[in-house]
Amino acid sequence: MGGKPFGRALGDPSAEHSGGHHDGFGPGQERARRRGQGELEAQVLAALHRAAGPVSAAWVQERLGGDLAYTTVMTILSRLHAKKAVTRERSGRAYLWTPAADEAGLAALRMRRVLDGEPDRDAVLTSFVSALSAHDEQVLRDLLGGAADGPPEDGTRAGGSREGRPGAGPRRPGNVGGH
Amino acid sequence: MGLFVFLPLVLPLTALPIARLTEQHLHPRATTRLLTLLAVVLGLCSTLCLGLLMVVGTAQLPGNPLPDAWSDPEVRAAVPYAEIAGSTAVAALAAAFAACSGALRRHRRIRARAHHALAALPPRSDPAILPDEDPYAYAVPAAPGRPGRVVVSRGMLRSLDDNEQRALFAHERAHLTCRHHRYLLAVRLAGCLNPLLLPLRSAVTFSTERWADEEAAHVVGDRLLTARAVGRAALIGRAAPYPELAHFAATEAGPVPRRVAALLAPVPPARSWPPALTPAGIAALFAAAGTAASALASLNSVVALFLILKAATPL
Repeated sequence: MGGKPFGRALGDPSAEHSGGHHDGFGPGQERARRRGQGELEAQVLAALHRAAGPVSAAWVQERLGGDLAYTTVMTILSRLHAKKAVTRERSGRAYLWTPAADEAGLAALRMRRVLDGEPDRDAVLTSFVSALSAHDEQVLRDLLGGAADGPPEDGTRAGGSREGRPGAGPRRPGNVGGH
Repeated sequence: MGLFVFLPLVLPLTALPIARLTEQHLHPRATTRLLTLLAVVLGLCSTLCLGLLMVVGTAQLPGNPLPDAWSDPEVRAAVPYAEIAGSTAVAALAAAFAACSGALRRHRRIRARAHHALAALPPRSDPAILPDEDPYAYAVPAAPGRPGRVVVSRGMLRSLDDNEQRALFAHERAHLTCRHHRYLLAVRLAGCLNPLLLPLRSAVTFSTERWADEEAAHVVGDRLLTARAVGRAALIGRAAPYPELAHFAATEAGPVPRRVAALLAPVPPARSWPPALTPAGIAALFAAAGTAASALASLNSVVALFLILKAATPL
């Protein structure tokens, strides 16, 4: 072990989109302070879930974009531990953290049964996105491509752009919050 | 009187153009509230009308438990085809109430099953992140004794970057804090009372999603980011486009592309009412006038029917 989790992070294939979010984020410190505790806990938990195995608090801090203090991450991890949402094991002088898999796995299993067994579920559980038709998909790709390449009003899109480009599009600070 | 008594039953037909107008010109918050109110008022009016038709049309029939005096010949003369209308009203009312209680039961069952599934998690882990490779994100409405919760699968989170995840959480949180499920349930029940109100269901579903999108864009402070989060979440698991199928699909874009397009456009007016004498203002006025007129006409018909019933019978 030796407390070297960064090597694993670099080898983690899911780390590919962690590079895009620094440049596209405005006054990060200010916003981080206003973020609610619950949301921070959720982000820490999400980062743990994406890790390939037990990771250190420093790894979590790195994954969250570095705008949180190490002590803040430790506080959140301890709080999550008190809620039994994560487990930890000692490795040298530090702890390695893992999300509590058993309860979450059970919940996921039951949730899946609800989602599969209730065709009418969308009337009760509001979903983030609904299903797309093939036509919708084409329209959506065009919209996102236009948004990534420039302002939508003169959206001359270079064809066939891939949708997976987080933070790559130029920001339009003048347009946000106007009117 | 004549055919006017049937007016509340068909007035919900005006709901669809009104929904279109408000959707285009009002803030989604105003749209949701206006359309829900419209659906509830029209649904109740048409049910009341059915109830009165049933009384007038069938009270005199042999074997009916209602007092015969409730269906005075004079009243029946005011209602065309009183007997047929009355017996149809009985069937329609029964169907409406069966549909309503079915919808309510289903709502409670799904909500209870979702809470039961999440009960395995520590009670305060919210949003609940489930180890499931299928991408999904839901807002589970509050049940008695249980607060509303946000459920997101790991498959969904993995496909979004950290900022897009914030937009996703803000969107689902907005569903819960703005109590969107109540609007959705109200419109659903209205659709059970009168099937002509069914178009309002999809209109309100769409406007609540737009409302939550606007709240999320406000929280994360970036419309483009929110648009990208919605778009990418919808495209998860769709690796390659199918150009050969695309041309056979509907010509009008579905809800997700419309939401993304709206987020890429400027913020809708924060006031719930656009200024008059602009195209948006005039359209809003027309929509409001249409809403008020249809609601008033419904009420008028119901009251008129009730009054002649009362005048002609020693109630």
